[in-house]
Amino acid sequence: MPPITEHVVLRDLDVPNIADLDVYIQHEGYEALRNAVKEKSPQDIINVVKDAGLRGRGGAGFPAGVKWGFLPKDVYPRYLCCNADESEPGTFNNHQIIDRNPHQLIEGVALAAYAIECQKAFIYIRGEFAAGALRLEKAIADATARGFLGKNVFGTNTSIEIIVHRGAGAYICGEETALLESLEGKVGHPRLKPPFPAVAGLYGKPTIVNNVETLTNVPRIVLKGVEWYRKNGTEKSPGTKVFSLSGHVNKPGNYEVPFGVTMRELIYDYAGGMRDDKKVKIIVPGGASSAWLTEANLDVAMDYESLAAAGTMLGSGGIIILDETVSAVELAYKMDEFFKHESCGKCTPCREGTHYLVKTLHKFTHGGAVKNDINKLHDVYNQMAGNCFCLLGESAVVPIRTALRLFPEEFEAALAKSPARHAIPLTLAH
Amino acid sequence: MPDVNLIIDGQAVSVPAGTNLVDAARTVEVAIPVFCYHPKLKPVGMCRMCLVEVYTARIDPATRQVVMGPDGLPQLALMMNKLQPACVTPVSEGMVVKTTTEKVKFAQRGVLEFLLTSHPLDCPVCDKGGECPLQNLTMQWGPEVSRFDYSDKVHFEKPIKLSDVIYLDRERCILCSRCVRFQDDIAGDEVLGFDNRGRSWEIISKSEPGFDSKFSGNTTDICPVGALTNADFRFRSRVWEVRSTPSICTHCSVGCNLSLDARHNSLMRVMPRENDDVNEIWLCDKGRMGMRFVESATRVTTPLVRQHGKLVAASWDEALTRIASNLSQIAAKGNGQVAGMMSDSASNEDLYAFRKLITDTFQSTSLDHRPGAVTDVAIDEAIITAGVGMGTSLLSLGKGTAVVVLAADVEEEAPLYVLRLRGIKNRGGVVHVVNSFATKLGTSASSDTRIKAGSEAAYANAFLKLVLEAQVASGFDRRVRNLDDVRNQLSKLLLDTLLEHAGVSRAQLQKVVDAYMAASNAIIVYGRTALQIGASVTQTMANAAMATGKCGKANNGLIALTTGANTFGAVSLGVRPGKDGAAANEFWARAEAGTLRGLLVVGLNPAANNPAAVEGLQTIAKHGFLAVQTMFMNETAELADVVLPQMAIAETDGTITNAERRVQRFRIAMAAPAAMHPTWQVCAQIAERATVATPASKNATAVLSNWNYAVTSDVTDEVAQNNPRYAGVTYTSLDLSINSWGRQANESVYYDGTSYTNTEGNGVQLKTVADDAGAALTVVYSPPVEFEPKGEFGLLMQTPVRAYNGGTWSIDSKLGSRQVAAHVLISSADASRWNISAGDAITVASPIGSSTLPAQIDKNIAAGHVLMPDVAGAPVHLALGAYTRVAIRRAE
Repeated sequence: MPPITEHVVLRDLDVPNIADLDVYIQHEGYEALRNAVKEKSPQDIINVVKDAGLRGRGGAGFPAGVKWGFLPKDVYPRYLCCNADESEPGTFNNHQIIDRNPHQLIEGVALAAYAIECQKAFIYIRGEFAAGALRLEKAIADATARGFLGKNVFGTNTSIEIIVHRGAGAYICGEETALLESLEGKVGHPRLKPPFPAVAGLYGKPTIVNNVETLTNVPRIVLKGVEWYRKNGTEKSPGTKVFSLSGHVNKPGNYEVPFGVTMRELIYDYAGGMRDDKKVKIIVPGGASSAWLTEANLDVAMDYESLAAAGTMLGSGGIIILDETVSAVELAYKMDEFFKHESCGKCTPCREGTHYLVKTLHKFTHGGAVKNDINKLHDVYNQMAGNCFCLLGESAVVPIRTALRLFPEEFEAALAKSPARHAIPLTLAH
Repeated sequence: MPDVNLIIDGQAVSVPAGTNLVDAARTVEVAIPVFCYHPKLKPVGMCRMCLVEVYTARIDPATRQVVMGPDGLPQLALMMNKLQPACVTPVSEGMVVKTTTEKVKFAQRGVLEFLLTSHPLDCPVCDKGGECPLQNLTMQWGPEVSRFDYSDKVHFEKPIKLSDVIYLDRERCILCSRCVRFQDDIAGDEVLGFDNRGRSWEIISKSEPGFDSKFSGNTTDICPVGALTNADFRFRSRVWEVRSTPSICTHCSVGCNLSLDARHNSLMRVMPRENDDVNEIWLCDKGRMGMRFVESATRVTTPLVRQHGKLVAASWDEALTRIASNLSQIAAKGNGQVAGMMSDSASNEDLYAFRKLITDTFQSTSLDHRPGAVTDVAIDEAIITAGVGMGTSLLSLGKGTAVVVLAADVEEEAPLYVLRLRGIKNRGGVVHVVNSFATKLGTSASSDTRIKAGSEAAYANAFLKLVLEAQVASGFDRRVRNLDDVRNQLSKLLLDTLLEHAGVSRAQLQKVVDAYMAASNAIIVYGRTALQIGASVTQTMANAAMATGKCGKANNGLIALTTGANTFGAVSLGVRPGKDGAAANEFWARAEAGTLRGLLVVGLNPAANNPAAVEGLQTIAKHGFLAVQTMFMNETAELADVVLPQMAIAETDGTITNAERRVQRFRIAMAAPAAMHPTWQVCAQIAERATVATPASKNATAVLSNWNYAVTSDVTDEVAQNNPRYAGVTYTSLDLSINSWGRQANESVYYDGTSYTNTEGNGVQLKTVADDAGAALTVVYSPPVEFEPKGEFGLLMQTPVRAYNGGTWSIDSKLGSRQVAAHVLISSADASRWNISAGDAITVASPIGSSTLPAQIDKNIAAGHVLMPDVAGAPVHLALGAYTRVAIRRAE
């Protein structure tokens, strides 16, 4: 697939210093918003985004325009939350957008807010992105000073206030209901669904939660139109996607490509191929929560449908590519250790299950595993799968399940290397 | 709404829409195991113990239509293609639920094993052992062995104190959050929270002092493990060793049902007992931990008689004979020179016998249930006429209900009503609070109107005025008498003047009136301040209920939060001044005048904090005869000629009548520490001896035969016979039980360690006058009383109730640190005006004296308003009524 001629999201690559408000304005900045609030109805914006087929980049891939249409009629105030809690391992495109193209994100937030008739929008930003938060705040202040935000946007009756709220460092707050809890000042625990946020979200009011990349697409779609946007990508996954490539590739980084490029193209054409020309062993295609692929899947097209057909998902677009030097057991251990660390503790299978997955995997990586431990791993993840309160626990199942499915021999081999069980000192406490 | 039909484990189930699967399954005795779910709390679906297979009609994704099978019925598909938590899954038509499939068992076994692997399994030393849902569920649903290492247990310092009375063992905690949710949703004290995450997630107290709630003990009940335990019961006993006796709490007018758990005649613990019409399954901490006085070593255990100026031990016979002969002699002089006063927390039987002794044997109508302070409260006839109607159940109330709480601090006066009134609001009703100072209930009420100190009667009259105006359109209750007079008198009061006096806007009042008028069920609650002010508040509010027909039927009327646990019993059984008789606060003057020479005091301590009473009692003891029956020596007993030991409620039986006029029975839980007799027996013994000694008694034989009681229920039966209001109230009728909470499947989860199920009777509610269709309801105009500060006494002082008042109940109680020390609350404005800082000693002067005590500053109090909580050691004798004009200054 030919590369894109013009960036939709990572426009900082086309326009140096686009983070600067004046530069942004010189390059069509805030024109979409101006046209919208002056000449278009909120429904017009929803329609164009719906027709463009913009899908949520946070992981689920749900069409953004359709989501906006779910809000119950005549219930106000409504809230918009931009999910900038980018914490999925291997994912770093939001970071680049916030740092280098903040105004396009802010304009996207404002457009979405206008579309759903919300006067107060929040950007919930990952706590560690301190510089990004400051940058956003400054950008918002700059835009407000010009009358692009705040009261009477562009002299109209529309008011859009954007508040930047920093998280406190919990992965679970990227889950939309936990994000809302955290935004309300509570412990970031996921909420029971239904009701979904669109019906009862922030402070019990109708709320839309959208990802940074999703919203950053919006100004370009509104300004340039459906046809322009659909130039790239596939019928069901239109547009471009920023993939974050990391791992054993020669040129890790963010690459904005049309949906539908193959994994092989991404690795070899964009990311400069594999380090030391080693073979691809494991591909984690969409963040730690996605099922792994192998070399056999290199020709999979990078769009929502093709990846689903391959038994995994596009997820956050954070692709981790690992070569044959990596042990599948080690990788499963590391990933589940992450989930264990981030488990909020609300539901039993996740809180205790992640602990026992890690505990058992530790025996495979550090010695002490016995044959029955493989069955134990199968049992534990099966007792978690489908049984957890939110997707965090479900995600923790994925690495160990795919590792055991794709590389069973490595677990068997770890058994052989394990010292006999009696050699492990029994402790009652530690 | 029509019921929803579904199939659970092959059985057809039909339940109301909105029912969750756990509750639906229980109706056909299918037990779905739960930990975090509790029928009294909103389900949250976090423990994942209740996972089941749920099948619903298969929907074709393309057409969004139900796919029909070859048999013409909808095809079924596993909902969301995974197990569903039953507690948060509502029933839907045609649903098929399977709770025992291999897939379900595998998941449930997993959850239980996960829980157990981090649980310490220290059952042998755990208070919950034996009534622990985790133990029970493990037996039925758990795996036999664990796949995990014992070394994987979580370890925490154990236990930590959340408060002086509640301990948290974080190792045992399974993180179901029942305690947090109880505090947030039911108690309204949001003092518990979470800290950390994952396996380190833990419950913490967010308040200072820790776990600052009057309902904290309930969390130890609903805790499904032994993570929360209370100081009152920790390590006292194994739960299977105790013998439980049904009883009633006598600390306030709610009348909570409880169970006294004793082992070897020693009280181990107090547990709530289910009664949906009273306390549901809850108990306040005062009720739970305020029973230790029963076993106090300082109890009076033997009769004492005065010899050579000193009280010395004597036999019961000697003591009773002395009382009988002395009081007989005084009574023989005629003119009602004998008087009696008895606590209104005593049983109906004791109160009835006492009334009979004083009026029949000693021929006096000077009888009272109050301690004889200037501030004694009058129980208005209006509350007997228009109290809350027969069949009232606050638990059934929600949408369409309005509660107006006027001049009451519900949490301090009758704590459990906070839970019950909040429940009404949580279920969709409205609760409007109107008070002169901030109250806890007000913070979670639909509206919280702050009126000026002393303006309660003005507010009540303004309320009545608007209510009557609103009622004109739909007409008045035909049974109402004297309405024209009331309307005529009210028309002379200017609404604006009343509103200005109360410091309330028309809109604020209108909101409350509108809610009251619009409600299909309306209840007015008033408390001590209203009762102290009297008819101008209580009768006026009753007028509103009577004129609008919002009384005399279930779930409507008035509830008075009386001081005693059985004030209704005392009043309705005649322990109050009769014709020509004196009220208790008139006794002292009569003593000085020489017209009162004999006094029998039961369960009261009039001498406490009342110099006038002390003088009167001294005079009676000096020139006449003073007999006291008491559990503990006190200022009054010290002056007595004879002191008799009194039994505690745990040691005797009888009935008491609560604020909603529900008569309830309590039983003998343990033997008294020494030979003692219940008061009704003491009265009979005195009467028997008195008839012999009193020639003046006009009808000696008849009186004697009347005292022929063998057991307490003989008195109960006589009460029912002689008092139409109590007709039909017998031990048998009181013992009828309705288990409204439901006792189907899974009771080991809902009941174990929680509330005791009620198999011993829900009690019987007495009729109000208004319950009779033909009764005349007389409304009476009661003009607003004015409390105007003037001259040197420029502030208005109130003496509000405090639950933790340091009373008898607090003896040996673990709630010691929560007792409120005597102090005065003043406004910030007055503090700066008199240059007073928090903690400063200040002198409070009223027209009858002055006293010095520490000040506290409350920014919520209006300038000119002073609160002196009525607690042990507070100089409440300075008060002259609901409001007293006082002056304050820094003590030198």
